[in-house]
Amino acid sequence: MKIRKKLFLLLAGSMTAMLVIAAACGGGTSSSDKTATAGAGGGGGNTPAAGSTSTGGSQADAAPADQQKITIQSPEPEFYDPHRSNFEQDIAVERMLFRGLYNLTDDGNGGVKVVPGMADGDPTVNGNVYTVKLKAGLKWSDGSALTADDFVFGFQRECSADVASPYQYVLGAGLGELKGCDDLFNNKDASQTQALTDALGVKATDPTTLEFTLNKPIATFKTIWSLWATFPSPKAVITKDGDKWTDPANIVTNGPYTLKEVVAKDHATLVPNPNWSGQKPAIQQITIRFIDDLSAAFKAFQNGELQATQILATDSTVAKGDSSLKDELLIVPSSRITTIEVQMKNPVLGGTGDNDQKAYNLRLALSRAIDRQALSEAVYDGVNTPATYWLVKGLKGYQGNDPFQSKIGFDVDAAKKALADAGYPNGQGLPTFTLIYRDTPERRNEGDFLQKAWKAIGVNVDTQFVDSKARSAAFNNEQFQLFQGGWQLDYPDIENPLVGLFNTGGGNNKYNCSDPDVDAAYKDAANATSEDARIAAYQKVETLIVTRLCGIIPIYQDSLPFLISSKLGGVVSNGVINAGTPGNYAVENWYVKK
Amino acid sequence: MAGYTIRRVLWVIPVLWAVATITFFAMHAVPGGPFTSDKALPPAVNEALNRRYHLDQPLWKQYGLYLWDAGHGDLGLSFQGDRDVSTLLRDGFFVTAQLGVMGLVAAVVVGLTLGTLSALNQNGPLDYIGVVFATIGAAVPNFIMGAFLVVIFSVNLHWLDSLGWGGPTQFKDVLDPAAYEWRKLIIPVVAVSVLPAAFIARVTRASVLEVLHQDYIRTARAKGVTEMRVVLRHTMKNALIPVLTIIGPVAAALVTGSFIIETMFNIPGVGRAFVTAVERRDYAMIMGSVLFYTVIVTFANLLVDIAYAVVDPRIRYR
Amino acid sequence: MATSGAQSAAAQPAVVEPEVVLGRQRGLWWDAWRRLIKNRLAMFGLIAICVIAFVAFLGPHLGVLGRYGPNDQNYDPAVKQLGPTANHWLGTDQLGRDMWARTLEGLRISLQIGLGTQVLVLALGLLVGAGAALGGKLTDNLLMRVTDVMYAFPDLIFIILMRSILTGRDIPVLTNQKILIIVAIGMIQWTTIARLVRGQMLSLGERDFVLAAQALGAPRWRIVVQHMLPNTLGPVIVAITFGIPVAIFAEAALSFIGFGVPPPAASLGTLVSIGYTTIQRNVWNVIPPAAAVALLMLCFTFLGDGLRDALDPRTR
Repeated sequence: MKIRKKLFLLLAGSMTAMLVIAAACGGGTSSSDKTATAGAGGGGGNTPAAGSTSTGGSQADAAPADQQKITIQSPEPEFYDPHRSNFEQDIAVERMLFRGLYNLTDDGNGGVKVVPGMADGDPTVNGNVYTVKLKAGLKWSDGSALTADDFVFGFQRECSADVASPYQYVLGAGLGELKGCDDLFNNKDASQTQALTDALGVKATDPTTLEFTLNKPIATFKTIWSLWATFPSPKAVITKDGDKWTDPANIVTNGPYTLKEVVAKDHATLVPNPNWSGQKPAIQQITIRFIDDLSAAFKAFQNGELQATQILATDSTVAKGDSSLKDELLIVPSSRITTIEVQMKNPVLGGTGDNDQKAYNLRLALSRAIDRQALSEAVYDGVNTPATYWLVKGLKGYQGNDPFQSKIGFDVDAAKKALADAGYPNGQGLPTFTLIYRDTPERRNEGDFLQKAWKAIGVNVDTQFVDSKARSAAFNNEQFQLFQGGWQLDYPDIENPLVGLFNTGGGNNKYNCSDPDVDAAYKDAANATSEDARIAAYQKVETLIVTRLCGIIPIYQDSLPFLISSKLGGVVSNGVINAGTPGNYAVENWYVKK
Repeated sequence: MAGYTIRRVLWVIPVLWAVATITFFAMHAVPGGPFTSDKALPPAVNEALNRRYHLDQPLWKQYGLYLWDAGHGDLGLSFQGDRDVSTLLRDGFFVTAQLGVMGLVAAVVVGLTLGTLSALNQNGPLDYIGVVFATIGAAVPNFIMGAFLVVIFSVNLHWLDSLGWGGPTQFKDVLDPAAYEWRKLIIPVVAVSVLPAAFIARVTRASVLEVLHQDYIRTARAKGVTEMRVVLRHTMKNALIPVLTIIGPVAAALVTGSFIIETMFNIPGVGRAFVTAVERRDYAMIMGSVLFYTVIVTFANLLVDIAYAVVDPRIRYR
Repeated sequence: MATSGAQSAAAQPAVVEPEVVLGRQRGLWWDAWRRLIKNRLAMFGLIAICVIAFVAFLGPHLGVLGRYGPNDQNYDPAVKQLGPTANHWLGTDQLGRDMWARTLEGLRISLQIGLGTQVLVLALGLLVGAGAALGGKLTDNLLMRVTDVMYAFPDLIFIILMRSILTGRDIPVLTNQKILIIVAIGMIQWTTIARLVRGQMLSLGERDFVLAAQALGAPRWRIVVQHMLPNTLGPVIVAITFGIPVAIFAEAALSFIGFGVPPPAASLGTLVSIGYTTIQRNVWNVIPPAAAVALLMLCFTFLGDGLRDALDPRTR
């Protein structure tokens, strides 16, 4: 090493500087655009711009068939079998491959309506017996007939312990009420399996007629019978190929598309199902790229590598400031409410008797210390909607912020007063709480925000960030004090975000909310004779749990920013049910514009 | 030499067993299981899933079962779609290996060229460029390099793609030129190869300089041998030996260290598979990829040791 | 240490024959020091590291350098996501936090991780290496087989596993996020030092001056402490110096894919990874921590090269 070091250092320095400057200039164009319009961006449109296109809308401007190819982003599904799926990304793809008796679509008002899918009209109800006629001439993608038997087989698999469907419970007691489903699922005696399968409350009385026997009539039959858990299973293929039946070489589907290719960790390719009974899809090839990292997906979208992708809230600001991206931005309200969940078993945060009021005041102080508007703007660039409610906007029965804002909403003085009422003036005597988060960059900012907000009234909170599984494990084992959680709808009915969540002993009631008034309201809902009475009873549950902060402190309703290429037409919102790309529930409407 | 090699190869078996044991109990100690999800699964569902995958057995039994199966070449099923772990590893390694080979070739070509030019042009402008490259390449971590490359060449200039793998994913397509998309390949390959290129350039420069100062080079020059011939015949032949000995560790580092880049660029290699497996508590896949990496590291170390022994016989007798 | 790649290969000098004999030690250390201060790149590295450490650790208490705390938030839209300004030299982030303060904090944490890891590595490596060299044949065999297994374990993978096990638990001491990652990295990196120490000590054991001391009846511990340890130190110091950037790099790289220091501690790697998600929003979320990582790596590499040249003149 005898070179002249001064000159060398100079060179090394200037080369580093060049690299940095090149990058800075590169990023500069978009960041300066951003500052120019940051003020105008505001909260972002909350209604999907493309919501107006009706089913089977005009495709007059469609490009020729050979250009009908798109690539979209999604995390990688685990399964392509609707009866084994647990995750949104699985379900999103399955909605493209399979369809059930009924189907969910956008009602044009941000809500969802149920329409017949494979079924020929509404069910005939006779007591506990629901009879559904299939449309005539249904086929699987290989051309074989799709019969009532395939639907029966689908239900048998859903209720089978061997298949072990994570969503079996939607057909079980309290929700789907399908007769014999829980018995079959919980059975451990192999010799009983056949008898229990035969006893299951679903029969094919002829090739196009299905007869369901429920434990009791339910108000949500069509909604639940539109879920992936009720999709048909091709009996012939599954008998032949077993668990490998969803391999692209074996799979047959009954939805608009079929699976052509799957490269693990990379992509899946979908092509139209030639025997699909509905509207013929225009797009001849959908490539689903498996991408978890939304900021990487945003970069790829701008480079034309993707035609549709979800993006991060902070990137939506970049998109708003870009002349072409701003027209491709679609912010869809999510069916998820994010809350800070409070362990009611903790003697300080919850409690019974005299302790109850004290703990309530502490929770009230925590809730009133959070400036939800500022949080949404600071962390999420105004994409999320501040919430003091639990039933999401778009759901029938939605009450919004009005009834609750003045009771639990942001008010520092009220927060301090509540804290003093709880016996901890300025936080004196309070232990430091731990708040568990899933570790993502946005969540880190949110955690830092909340920590500071609570510190301002004298409450010390440590944040603990763990990965998604560790976080869920802490929740399911009730090992938390404060926990950032929430609920995303499985199906658009008021019962979904409530049943099992706040009733004493409920399966998802991991914060141990236990309140006799709440339990009574649940009972009213279960015994309600009319739809209005049912909804009113559930609204009462919401009012009680929110005003009493029974295990939850709502902070916002999530929104999901997407970029949908201006070349991609026919994309309608899924309404309040969102899974994957907007409009994927009616993927047959998509087309590539000229 | 043969006995030494055989002993070392056989030693791999207990090492694999030890690594498998550590990994097995370590991963089961990580909080949360494969079926833990945001919404608590009803106990009946959890039970059914655990039974399906034999997770209801006591841990020592699962361990025994795994060792037995692995000993028979069955690495089990991934919880992600019940796919065969051996198949996933094979497909993943095919991609990882391509990335490694392309990275290595790029690193060797660039490193050797820059290193040699630097040495021949000692203290001249080429030398400064070479040394500056070697220094920056060693100092800027590959993911930071990759990040800036994406922003500059993909997002702003639209010259290159930023996501996915541009090579073939099936072995049968290796010779098919249509299976290669250079737009996708360049950024990840550059990102993985900068550090090893810098390292090779450094070693080459030092090595060539050392040889150039040897007496026999001076003698050759004094005898009027042409400069070209001095460089190619006399210098390079001897200067390459130390470079060759570092290729082994560099290659191993490329393969085992590429998972940062694979994760960053969504490349379906073994590294990314391991990262998602840890996140999703995909036990069989975690085990499979750790064992796989261990085999690679162990054999790379073995090759290096053998290479040293071949190049420098003194080592054997120490 | 295969995964940390090229640098670590450079960090493993072959077993160095000690040049040092009784009574001349001081002079040789002095020579090494003189060689080091003559090496401008190494001195640049050393001085730069000292300056960085000084600013990182004391900066927050020094008037203008520490005007903002790393977690001072400002929700004013006019202040968030800025480029460099007179007030915020390196811009601000999503919550209006000062990037200069955040980068200093990141530097502090990364330095603590780099140094802390090496302390653990040194302790484990010396213990195992010396134990193997000085213990009986059985001890030697046992310890070296353990070392072999750890050496074969791909290190980034081991760190990911350890980190996943340790996070979110109530193990005393390890509730400190930095110590947690130090343990995770340190537990795999010690093998190099252990092998180095063992090799040195074994070869020293056959050297004349050690044999002479033994013949003179010096107690065993004294031979170890007085004669063997100091002679082992040179290569160990070099390896440790190279180990620091390797640890900083490992932590930064793992942060980038979500396995670094668990928050709220934000190392440089964490800052880069957070910043990269918003790089298009504001490139100044990435540049300061990225440049800081590069600078640290550069300085430690220069210093390591210089130390190697100084402590082992024959490798020049």
